[in-house]
Amino acid sequence: MKEISELNFPDDVRYADDHEWVRNEGETATIGISDYAQDQLGDIVFVELPQPGDRFEKGAEFGTVESVKAVSELFMPIGGEVVAVNEALEDAPEKVNEAPYAEGWMIRVQPGDSAEMDALMDMDAYIQRLKDQE
Amino acid sequence: MRADASRPWLAVRLGCTDYEEALALQRRIVAAKNAEPSMPDVLLRLEHPPVFTLGRRGGAENIVAADRTLDGLEVPVVQVERGGNITYHGPGQLVVYPIVDLRRAGLSVVSFVEGMEWAMIETAARWGISAETNSRNRGAWVGDDKLGSIGITVRRGVSFHGLALNVNTDLRPFSWIHPCGLQGVGVTSMAAILGRFLDMEAVGAALERNLEAAFRTILEKSSFAALIRHLPPEEPVR
Repeated sequence: MKEISELNFPDDVRYADDHEWVRNEGETATIGISDYAQDQLGDIVFVELPQPGDRFEKGAEFGTVESVKAVSELFMPIGGEVVAVNEALEDAPEKVNEAPYAEGWMIRVQPGDSAEMDALMDMDAYIQRLKDQE
Repeated sequence: MRADASRPWLAVRLGCTDYEEALALQRRIVAAKNAEPSMPDVLLRLEHPPVFTLGRRGGAENIVAADRTLDGLEVPVVQVERGGNITYHGPGQLVVYPIVDLRRAGLSVVSFVEGMEWAMIETAARWGISAETNSRNRGAWVGDDKLGSIGITVRRGVSFHGLALNVNTDLRPFSWIHPCGLQGVGVTSMAAILGRFLDMEAVGAALERNLEAAFRTILEKSSFAALIRHLPPEEPVR
């Protein structure tokens, strides 16, 4: 496992307690898991994602990632309707390890309530939270 | 690792417990821990009546036998949310479900799985069996044969499901499946290796000592009744 200082936390996304990130793209928002989360999980061998059209409340389970005989559940950092899923992860789940904020994105949603995005942590707050739990 | 011996895990012996009953209990404990993070971590030690379980990604295609009758009874198949593929549980297999808040314990998923592997390998070594990890598949292996399996689920930082170590397990049902979805691998037990049955209690106690060492914690013997007192009441049946 890496030190927090060795991990990458871009400042163009916001972070949730369960280590998901959200990138606001205006009409839609993209969701994935943070570099810290992928590092904790180890090599990811399978990603299970919902279907476009599915709707989830903030905090609802939207999928799972499987690594080292461990299934970890994924939770919505904001509520919304799924408009796209990253189908490339079906054949290349390792992209979540390699590029968690880019090719390793998971779903794109149409947010229900923009205030939910504001309630998430910015980069500095998230890094501080990770340091506090060390 | 930051595990804290001042927060002992409650260790509860359930004896032989139906798979789905044990799963329902685990889910209750996870829900209670998600709702109340101060609730202690829990370790359940038990055995299951014969059952095949399928992991999140299924594994029904890895049942190769047409007839799954063991001692006159058909072995049921249960689908669960844990990692991994198909496996078999039955009497003589030592099953341990640690229900642990990995975040509070300062454990990554990887280090938690590795700790369980280490504890199984050390336990086998106590009886002179040389087991090891295998890059093909997590667990404890003796040569190309699997001695102990691991499969967990992590829900909001709390891990459940756990490990299964073949101590005196009847190995015949494993021949009816491709265990873990792998072909060309075998399954063994401590009894098969040593040529004699072992005292489940002694192996269980040794495994618990090794889990304490792996996770730098202390197991505090508790009872099912005491555990239930930590849990919110069950939803009333409508």
